[in-house]
Amino acid sequence: MNAAAGAAAAPQAPPRWLGCACCGLVSEVPGAVSSCPRCAHVLHWRKPMSLQRTWALLIAAAVLYVPANALPVMHTTQAFRSAEHTLLGGIAELWHDGAWGLAMIVFIASIAVPLLKIGALALLAWSAQHAPRWRRLERARIFGLVEAVGHWSMLDVYVVVLLAGMVRFDALASAEPGPGLLAFAAVVVLTMLAAHSFDARLIWQEPQTDE
Amino acid sequence: MMQPLPSTQQSWVVCERCGQSHRWVALAPRAVARCVRCDAVMARGHRLGPQSLLALTLAALIVFLIAHGSDLVTIRLAGAEQRTTFPMAVATTWQQGDHAVALLAAATAIVAPALFITLRLYILLPLAMGRMAPGFAACLRLLFHAAHWNTVEVLTVGALLALVRIADLAQAAPGPGLAALGVLALLLAAIESAGLRHLWWHVP
Repeated sequence: MNAAAGAAAAPQAPPRWLGCACCGLVSEVPGAVSSCPRCAHVLHWRKPMSLQRTWALLIAAAVLYVPANALPVMHTTQAFRSAEHTLLGGIAELWHDGAWGLAMIVFIASIAVPLLKIGALALLAWSAQHAPRWRRLERARIFGLVEAVGHWSMLDVYVVVLLAGMVRFDALASAEPGPGLLAFAAVVVLTMLAAHSFDARLIWQEPQTDE
Repeated sequence: MMQPLPSTQQSWVVCERCGQSHRWVALAPRAVARCVRCDAVMARGHRLGPQSLLALTLAALIVFLIAHGSDLVTIRLAGAEQRTTFPMAVATTWQQGDHAVALLAAATAIVAPALFITLRLYILLPLAMGRMAPGFAACLRLLFHAAHWNTVEVLTVGALLALVRIADLAQAAPGPGLAALGVLALLLAAIESAGLRHLWWHVP
């Protein structure tokens, strides 16, 4: 880095001290990247390419959200009649059976959470660049929530895997995962990875003056 | 106080979320330290030392073996009886050709909790006797990465849901594995809430 750039970037200069995410040790770091002297975990001033990776994973998740909902996640055969079940179809079945509470849980875990996660992370990634000072505390809390609820969307994946394992009566009755389940599982994993790639320290970063 | 103070070089704590530095204070049991800037939980005061964590983790190992080794659900249909464990369900999914989903289910609900338990046992057994296991730091780093992918509590709710969904197709009864799964979810949550960082304070 030359002297002029160094002077311009002074407010953005990496801090001398970084905390290790893994063991908590606070150590002095000469550059932007180092490793923890106690546990050797990598220390980043900022996660590298955080926003690019978050956007890429989010776009992939948003694209796959369409087949995840449009294609059947499960294929069942019962007394020689076969049926296809989509995510929303499964929720409708629960609702019609009178299991409203369960229908709500599955709706939240399978439909609402992935969609809200994609929306929330897109908002966080966008605002980190374009509205850096806007409602920082609320954005930080949203990020905490996204990280905490992410894995609950695995719910429907387990339900289908368990039903496939439970219903094995050959011609009489059987259940198999459908192509939508793979897309849905990919949405869940991609949104979890996207949340993981986002560096929440970007929320608190002061906008660069030379941009 | 059960909780030893960190050494003097460790008198600062940095918020993992936002990078804000704070001066360290010893936490009373059940106290929670939150970041002054972003409100994220940074540390919890707790009473669990290596010995009590070891006891909880041993209990988790036994419950894990019951949860995945015994029936989650027993189904009766036209005189036929079908017992299902979660590893069997994963194997069926694999045989039906959905390899990626089977691998994901196995990785998150079997491998991740198994790593969670065995790695902790590997470091806690020597630590409870005042020794440091070889590869201590590497184990803690692996645990740090595996923590996000443990989904036993989700699988527990998933098994309950599957039981409800199957009820109009066949007679279904919950097995011992289902109860074990619920206990495992609680035990792992209790162990997890103690965190990993404080284990360094007990290193001789």
